[in-house]
Amino acid sequence: MKLSKYLRSNYLIILLFIVIISIINLMLVSFKVQNQAIMGVTVTAILGFIIYVVYDFGRRKKFYNKFLNDLDLLDKKYLITEMIDKPEFYDGEILYDALYEIDKSMSEKIKEYSLSIQDFKEYIEMWIHEVKLPLASINLMIHNHKELSDKKIVEQLKRIDDDVEQVLYYVRSENAEKDYLIKETELNKVIGNVAMKNKDILLENKIDFIVDVDDRKVLTDSKWLEFIVNQIVSNSIKYIRNGVEHFIKITAEENNQNTILKIYDNGIGIEKSDITKVFDKTFTGNNGRKIETSTGMGLYIAKQLCKKLGHKIAIDSKENEFTEVSILFNKDDFLNIAK
Amino acid sequence: MKKILIVEDDISISSELKDLLDNAGYNGVVLKDFENSYEEIKKENPDLILLDINIPKLNGEMLLQKIRKESNVPIIMVTSKNTETDEVLSMSYGADDYITKPYNPTILLLRINAIFKRMENKSDILAYNELEIDPKKGIIKNEKEEIILTKNEMIIFTFLLANKGNIVTRDELMTDLWNNDSYINDNALNVNISRLRTKLKDFGYEDAIETRKGQGYILK
Repeated sequence: MKLSKYLRSNYLIILLFIVIISIINLMLVSFKVQNQAIMGVTVTAILGFIIYVVYDFGRRKKFYNKFLNDLDLLDKKYLITEMIDKPEFYDGEILYDALYEIDKSMSEKIKEYSLSIQDFKEYIEMWIHEVKLPLASINLMIHNHKELSDKKIVEQLKRIDDDVEQVLYYVRSENAEKDYLIKETELNKVIGNVAMKNKDILLENKIDFIVDVDDRKVLTDSKWLEFIVNQIVSNSIKYIRNGVEHFIKITAEENNQNTILKIYDNGIGIEKSDITKVFDKTFTGNNGRKIETSTGMGLYIAKQLCKKLGHKIAIDSKENEFTEVSILFNKDDFLNIAK
Repeated sequence: MKKILIVEDDISISSELKDLLDNAGYNGVVLKDFENSYEEIKKENPDLILLDINIPKLNGEMLLQKIRKESNVPIIMVTSKNTETDEVLSMSYGADDYITKPYNPTILLLRINAIFKRMENKSDILAYNELEIDPKKGIIKNEKEEIILTKNEMIIFTFLLANKGNIVTRDELMTDLWNNDSYINDNALNVNISRLRTKLKDFGYEDAIETRKGQGYILK
């Protein structure tokens, strides 16, 4: 709070004071009061006025400075009334009470929304568990009744399952709550599950699946990582390049701080202008537009999940040559010491 | 015959599971009364339990804990609750394996088989007529000679051997190979099978592995 601005906003009362002092002086002069008495009255009045202005400015400054400062520090600005004390001047009191009311109604609304989001999330999770039952059932039927058996049906089932998983992980990635569990996970196990999921489509499209991660372990939630790797591998399968022997190669390397998982394919690659945007929500780019089923959500969700787990994800590509997605895991020294 | 109890309230899944297990040479039994699930399980006295988490009354995890207090019967959690927390919990309560729906039926059978094998603690040495097969060392031998099989050849041979006299599809062989982190393609499978045939021929078993066109292979 600045004095100059405070004075300017109170110019009317200052002006009024000057006018009244002038009038009083004029009157005193015309009543022929002694100059010393006039001086005394004027100085006393001016002094009194200044003391009042300084006092008033002081208490306002104290209140508003704390108010603005706290507001600045606060992450959730609407909680400001919890931080400040009720001011001791009337208009400040009104402001404080009004803010308190506003905050209360805001908090209630937020609670209402977060509850309804929570309900929605729970419903989606439940629905996904439900929808997996007929999927499991159909898988078994196809296996048991070879006469129904058709690779195409199995592939379409896999597509449904992938799409359903995507919804589940979208909900999980957008949710503020921590519903993952980080523990030491073998990369081979995660990759094995992804390989098995995609086995038929990989074989059908004659894509060689090469894995060389030794027996490296990382700190992650294995289910989440499985989803992330599955998204990347699904993309590699979607965007194969004609005229070459297709392959997807998964490798891992490590340095002192990190383990890096690399998923490389010799597919159609990504245009230079698109590469910075592939992690954006609903971005499909030139490649995506060639394929009807592209939602542009896969890599976005993968990135969000990585963010939550504390991994970094990066992509490198050259059009008509390759795409390589790297996931960087922290090695937790603390955990190693704790062991 | 091994008795496998299916604890699953989705009727369609449980009846298909029963067919799958029966076809694979097990005796699949479906739990019907969830009111007294624990008592029913005890009465059935199965060799293995496939247990879902989302079942009526006592949920799967609680049931698992209760069973584990009295019995070491192998239990595979088969569930659509695909979270790390549920898996870690189930394993810590004493489940032997955790598989999420929808699963590959061949994988489920492989996992069941693996548990029985581990339990029986049989010597790892298998036999094919007078041949001795040691999957761990990767060798086949008779009295006179010893031949080394590669990892993939061994996976294929032991799978054929386990289903001796029955047709094994290429897809089943592939599933077993991929399940063991051998992500080979169709050509490589052909190469492996023909190399395996050559090696068996050295022992005098020509045409031991027969190709059934459009169906798969059969070990005679």
